[in-house]
Amino acid sequence: MLKIENLKATIEDKQILKGINLEVKPGEVHAIMGPNGSGKSTLASVLAGREDYVINGGSITFQGNDLTELNPEERARAGIFLAFQYPIEIPGVSTTNFLKTAVNQVRKSKGLKPLDAVSFLKIMKEKMKLVDIDQALLSRSLNEGFSGGEKKRNEIFQMAMLEPTLAILDETDSGLDIDALKIVADGVNKLKTSENATIVVTHYQRLLDYIVPDFVHVLYNGRIVKTGDKSLALELEEKGYDWIKEEVGELA
Amino acid sequence: MEGLTTVSIEDQIIDSFRATSDFQKTSLAQFKDLGIPLKKSEAYKFTPIKNILSKNFDWSAKSEFALNIDVKAHFYPIVKANHLVFLNGTFDIKKSIVTSDTSELVISAITEKDNLYNSLGIIADQKNDAFAAWNGAKTSTPLHIEVIKNTQNIPTFIYHFADSTSSESYSYPRIIVKSNSGSELSIYEKLIVSGDNNTFINSVIEAEVKDNASLKYTKTQDYPANVFAIEAIYGTQTSNSRFYTNTYSFSGSLIRNNIRLAIDGENCEGHMNGIYLLDNKSHVDNNTAVDHRAPNSYSNELYKGVLKGHSKGVFNGKIYVRPIAQKTNAFQSNNNVLLSEFATINTKPQLEIWADDVKCSHGCTVGQLDEDAIFYLRARGISREDAITLMLNAFTKDTLKEVNEEYVKNQVLDLIEKGLKNE
Repeated sequence: MLKIENLKATIEDKQILKGINLEVKPGEVHAIMGPNGSGKSTLASVLAGREDYVINGGSITFQGNDLTELNPEERARAGIFLAFQYPIEIPGVSTTNFLKTAVNQVRKSKGLKPLDAVSFLKIMKEKMKLVDIDQALLSRSLNEGFSGGEKKRNEIFQMAMLEPTLAILDETDSGLDIDALKIVADGVNKLKTSENATIVVTHYQRLLDYIVPDFVHVLYNGRIVKTGDKSLALELEEKGYDWIKEEVGELA
Repeated sequence: MEGLTTVSIEDQIIDSFRATSDFQKTSLAQFKDLGIPLKKSEAYKFTPIKNILSKNFDWSAKSEFALNIDVKAHFYPIVKANHLVFLNGTFDIKKSIVTSDTSELVISAITEKDNLYNSLGIIADQKNDAFAAWNGAKTSTPLHIEVIKNTQNIPTFIYHFADSTSSESYSYPRIIVKSNSGSELSIYEKLIVSGDNNTFINSVIEAEVKDNASLKYTKTQDYPANVFAIEAIYGTQTSNSRFYTNTYSFSGSLIRNNIRLAIDGENCEGHMNGIYLLDNKSHVDNNTAVDHRAPNSYSNELYKGVLKGHSKGVFNGKIYVRPIAQKTNAFQSNNNVLLSEFATINTKPQLEIWADDVKCSHGCTVGQLDEDAIFYLRARGISREDAITLMLNAFTKDTLKEVNEEYVKNQVLDLIEKGLKNE
């Protein structure tokens, strides 16, 4: 589904990604872990098409197509979803309002008819249950005055509405207490099928107790330096990241 | 080259003009005395009005409305409404449709012999406003609207037709609105221009809103590029009254809106809302003032600007709170989004508060669109263009809440949509 080969990216002339290799197949959950500043969020942003980053090497292939040729909205329509680490507040635009536009633009790109108000509301109500989100919240200005938990639940709600093929969760656990974390993880798990895939970007292991990964990759200094199964996450939790840094240091 | 011209623009304007009535004579004297504001004038600092007018008009045309035009074709399709027609600034009651009964609304054309003639120039500050004085000298057949006590009225539309087909044209409409106590009225105004020659509009509205009355005055200014307009609204309010001005500007070579609100009673509400969504070389200058001269009243001003192309926006909002006007609540906000590096905005709030127990706030912002927000919406599958439209629609629409007439509201929404799309 997704194949990243020797991906290099810069921001403001600073080399952040220095050669990433990663392959994600349908039905898989990949965790990307690593210390602060290792390039985790950059990788998530580059996949979503953020234009501040310049790709200066390598390739990203998504469902056989060159992803770097697509702008952010085309990527979203192709089935890529980024759950933001810091969801943006947009005054005057409600979740319901903008999601209706979003869902219908995604449908249009697939040659489907736009949803009418009734069908949209019906689907919305079903998906709201997934993350236990209140309709009143969805009528308010997007993310404005939302608590940390509400913002993250809203992200997963949007994911549920857009039904992506590849979901990238960027530090979705940050700022969440354990109850909110469970709700969010539960929502993500319910959306999992054998057709779609998830990349979970996280600093800590605790989210992976709830969203169990098939692969854990450790990103350090712009490269994936170690790959393992879920036990690698536990090891990192126990030992921290220093041993990874030492190992890489020895290699260098 | 101002200093080199032998005939001043004021002389050009009043040359061959004979004032007949006392009001015209007084107005003319006031205009001569004041003269057209120079560039150094603070109130016209960002709108060099004298240069603009000198450059674009020679003031020699007869400015007659010779065109045979089907005015009704331009009316809003609303039967239960008054449709009032001005032709080059002259109120034409014959071409108008007056639906209201005189027990509710009295609509008259003011002539010199009329008693109503004495109501001109009382509320407008002709001693200080050169354009209002100029209008007073030149206006012919003003419109008088009297709203009868305790009546709720059907909407009243005012259409200004300008004929600039054979030469430049000048219109000096004057409208007097007297809202008697407990009455309610909404007025909607627009301009229809025929012809490509330069078109000058200098309009003055004088509104008196008495106890418990409500008056809403809405202007849609989507003018062709040959229009230069200076439009004033002077309002006075007494106790428990509500006055709203809604000014939606989309295009025009020059639009200067002078709005002056004097709150003379307690528990009044004065609202000034506006949008300026400009492109190309449009230049819109909103110069507003609210004067709290009595305690316990409320005023609120909300203007939103979106500037594209080489357009220029100017906003000046003054709030005066007199010593007697304790417990005043006066709020003002002006927010701007610049979408082009060639567009400019000059915004200036001005508060003069002499009372000590008041709540006043003002805020003005100038910014670009939040690129993070645009990316967020795009990451959900919304195109860049639609994301911008979505955000700017939300940005502007809170200034529309006092427009009750769906036709007008939808027209403004369409103009917003259109204005946002033409990137």
